[in-house]
Amino acid sequence: MPNYKVIYFDIRGRAELIRLIFAHAGQKFEDSRIVPEEWLKLKPTTPFGQVPALQIDGKMYAQTIAIANYLAREFGLYGKTSLDALEIDQIVCLIQDFLNATLKAKREEDETKKADLLKKYVEEEVPKYLGFLEGLLKKNGTGYFVGSGTTLADIAVYDFIFNLNENHSGVLETFPLIKGHKEKIASLPNIKAYLDVRKPTPY
Amino acid sequence: MPNYKLTYFDGRGRAEIIRLILTYAGQKFDDNRVGGEVWAKFKPSTPFGQLPVLEIDGNMYAQSTAIANHLAREFGLYGRSNLDAFEIDQVVCLMQDFWSAVTKVYGEKDEAKKAELMGKFTQEEVPKFLGLLEKLLKQNSSGCFVGSDITLADLFVYDLLWNLKSKLADVFEKYPLVNGHQDKVGSVPQIKAYVAARKPTTF
Repeated sequence: MPNYKVIYFDIRGRAELIRLIFAHAGQKFEDSRIVPEEWLKLKPTTPFGQVPALQIDGKMYAQTIAIANYLAREFGLYGKTSLDALEIDQIVCLIQDFLNATLKAKREEDETKKADLLKKYVEEEVPKYLGFLEGLLKKNGTGYFVGSGTTLADIAVYDFIFNLNENHSGVLETFPLIKGHKEKIASLPNIKAYLDVRKPTPY
Repeated sequence: MPNYKLTYFDGRGRAEIIRLILTYAGQKFDDNRVGGEVWAKFKPSTPFGQLPVLEIDGNMYAQSTAIANHLAREFGLYGRSNLDAFEIDQVVCLMQDFWSAVTKVYGEKDEAKKAELMGKFTQEEVPKFLGLLEKLLKQNSSGCFVGSDITLADLFVYDLLWNLKSKLADVFEKYPLVNGHQDKVGSVPQIKAYVAARKPTTF
């Protein structure tokens, strides 16, 4: 079994998807959380000057989604066919768009512009993306996003929706299938065990 | 052989990578271009209200990267192992970050802000991304980004840099391996023929 080390800051952020995949697969990994001073030293050793990074037997790899895809293939979370993988990728890409829309609104520096963006985000974009996700669950009909078992798509959605719900409580009330999916994934034995001991962080 | 129908606006944009993959693989496809009212009527039938979409034997799929990944798997452009695929995904994800930086600048409507962003873009971001690509090519040393044959990574980079290179030729001069790579991919007979016959568009 390869030796895995996840390197990121001491928050959920962009690394949590990777940690959840390891947890679900029951695969041990070193969860290395760095402080800003360490980051300055570590940065030049990473492929693109960014974290999260994954070390596999000492070799360093970058980019959250590249890492997530690799682990999903290793741990059988990528479906059975290329078309399954296409459906999984569709959802992971959709979540990336949802995340980008979220960051665009929340990181705007101009206060007036930020207020406008946040209003548009809450009133238009959140319902739009949640509508797509609800529709995908309805169409697939199994309680999972792709096929009839847990895939990378379910974990990626769970991770994003967890954060969304933390920041906008009650937002899932009109999206019952997403709400049910969140509870379903959180109750999977390995995920539940991981979440039970997960240290709370602001994000 | 499946029947492929690609629908996008009348430009390169986010669909061009898909056209390049199909062209490289020698695979015929229906290159459907829409706009205005035709798009407005078509939009509700798409998975996420966006283009490009690819219909494979009548089933519609969205998200350009998801589609590109599937076609790369179908046509042997995804490497030979999970670690090859990982390295390809790293490059593709890096290019998505570069693409976001490009669209942020070129999409800015406020002329004063655009000029400000353009300065930062050409002086910091372009050298950063081209520097990373140069480093990757140097490390791999085959002239391709992953392994010794053209993969999805090479086509993705070629596509994104094609237009930028014409706008920022003097910046590109400083990155000989990246420049060489553009020429290498551009000289592949089917790519060369396709680009020579390609209708010029503003995007």
